[in-house]
Amino acid sequence: MSTNIYSYLLFKSLYQPLEAFKRLSQAEPSPIGVMLRYSIWLLILPPVFSLIGAANFGWRLGAAEPLRLPMEALLLVSSGYFLVLVFGLFSTALISRWMAATYGASTALGRHVALVTIVGEPLAVGSLAHLFPDVFINILIIIPTMIWSMYLLYKGIPIVLGITSEKGVLMASSLVGWLLVAAVSLLGLSMMLWTLGVGPLLGV
Amino acid sequence: MSNENSNLYHDQIVLHLVQFAVVWALLAMTVGVYISAELVWPTIDFGQFWLSFGRLRPLHTNGIIFGFGVSALMATGFYSVQRTSHVPLFMPRLAWFVCYAWQLIILLGGLSLLAGWTTSKEYAELEWPFDIAIAIVWVCFGVVFFGTIANRKIRPIYISNWFYGALIIVIAMLHIVNSLAIPVTIGKSYSLYAGAQDAIVQWWYGHNAVGFLLTGGFLGMMYYFLPKHAGRPIWSYRLSVVAFWAFTYSYIWAGPHHLHYSAVPEWVLSLAMVMSVILLAPSWATMINGIMTVSSASEKLKTDPALKFIVLSLAFYGLATFEGPMMAFPSVNVVSHFTDWTIGHVHSGALGWNAMITYGTFYYMVPRLVGGELYSVRLANIHFWMALAGTMLYVMAMWGAGVSQGLLWLSVDEIGELSFSFKDIMSSMAPFYGLRLIAGLIFLGGTMLMAYNLYKTIAGKSAVKVQVPAVDPAFGVSS
Repeated sequence: MSTNIYSYLLFKSLYQPLEAFKRLSQAEPSPIGVMLRYSIWLLILPPVFSLIGAANFGWRLGAAEPLRLPMEALLLVSSGYFLVLVFGLFSTALISRWMAATYGASTALGRHVALVTIVGEPLAVGSLAHLFPDVFINILIIIPTMIWSMYLLYKGIPIVLGITSEKGVLMASSLVGWLLVAAVSLLGLSMMLWTLGVGPLLGV
Repeated sequence: MSNENSNLYHDQIVLHLVQFAVVWALLAMTVGVYISAELVWPTIDFGQFWLSFGRLRPLHTNGIIFGFGVSALMATGFYSVQRTSHVPLFMPRLAWFVCYAWQLIILLGGLSLLAGWTTSKEYAELEWPFDIAIAIVWVCFGVVFFGTIANRKIRPIYISNWFYGALIIVIAMLHIVNSLAIPVTIGKSYSLYAGAQDAIVQWWYGHNAVGFLLTGGFLGMMYYFLPKHAGRPIWSYRLSVVAFWAFTYSYIWAGPHHLHYSAVPEWVLSLAMVMSVILLAPSWATMINGIMTVSSASEKLKTDPALKFIVLSLAFYGLATFEGPMMAFPSVNVVSHFTDWTIGHVHSGALGWNAMITYGTFYYMVPRLVGGELYSVRLANIHFWMALAGTMLYVMAMWGAGVSQGLLWLSVDEIGELSFSFKDIMSSMAPFYGLRLIAGLIFLGGTMLMAYNLYKTIAGKSAVKVQVPAVDPAFGVSS
């Protein structure tokens, strides 16, 4: 059964997500298995793309000349980015499992890890935009991928967890709350590190 | 005439206030969209003073906060205080006066802003004649509200009334103290305060207007309509009471976090920062209370768009009340202050929390008020997705713009001079402002759908007469 779901993850889950959700609702894969065979390969994409993009072109913040950073600073930022993404995925899966318990839905952790990864997959692929490190271009590409991801979140939860779509909407909205908070914490934390001088020097 | 039958709720006032709220939402959001277009194409003010950003911006904020927000709070406050007290409104004629006098203040006040009358205090721009009128109407609002509670037939005062009560008392206090001024002419006055004191008083007002009106008042709405709608008692009543007092105590100190890196004494800023961080606890306690109430609700939620709005509003409430304390840290504030990040933060609260919870409440309340069904559930569902998309797009665009601005403004070259001019940074923001304009149009489009939907629901009907139900003797007031 679980090999069945793995054949869907990574590639088919991107263009047949609803089918992947259906398969997932019948499988109980192990969380470590999902992480190693699926999630980790997607989580590594954004840091790698941003490393390549920033090293070759430098970030553009609008009016400024491209911002070029030394390689060790870029490596530091990219590793930090990767760790934050791993933390984000796991914490979201744990919160999703905790909410599922209150909504009377399935609490198998592997299923939640896989669900969160399928939902986040378009964003991971959309991080191709990091290869062209311009803030506005990135936002422009992230917005439609994020809309797609949110659609998958609202659509996927009731299918995977076997709850009514009404309850699914409520649970998905609660998860959106958590994700928004996580996003803004990341933003705030990076600003704090920058201004406190812990992060790489940007001449600010 | 309406107080002849003392056993009926006064719901016609509520229905009128809902309609006014929707009209102000449409007008003020349209103004918001227009000024966001002005930031993309600065010449569309056509050289007219009254179309300039400087005059339309306060019209937008005042129209939303005091036109849409306060009308919605008055409507829901009057609706819920009658039902939680089991008595009709106290002095219904005064309630009608409050309803219409408030709309007149918004209308004339808006015109005075267009004419260029302004105190230049943010969210308190209206000049002294309006300030006096606001104080009078607000006190009347308090008389109706607290009079109804004093007449109540049920011993406990339900938690929503504590929040509405705090809204009325604290806003009266803030408004009167901050508006003290020496009038010079009918349209010009000078504040009683000067310099740093003026700034402290202004942000004590400004932040607590956000706190007790846009947060506290709307929490009152949440505490009545969410459990009512979910068909469940609030998850933890005790938590709601603890959160109320913690909220009331800590919010009032947080204002000076708007003044980091200014001439205000350091200890005042530190205190404001600490209190802002403490504030996270009651804010999130309330959010968890709301989410847990919904999650235990039964299957009766089917085909109901209203609850979706209320739950999503809690998600954005969680975001805004987390982001706010974070931005109160000086090391984040140094980047975020004076950038569009702040505008994004305000709108995640105003669109995501205030507007959405009000929309959810209206979708719930209006069909019940007129004793019918919502005209179109499908339109309401479309509205839900438009509201979500518009808010997300808005917040993302402003995060991108804000962080770029913050970092560019702070960057200096080798000899310590600013690397970029203000003008260059602002002109590079046009693409973000374009995105924000699209976001605003989507959100406004959703609001138009709701206005049409509610109009068709209400058309040709008036509020149904609702009898005050009998009181359970276990909770009754023993006379």
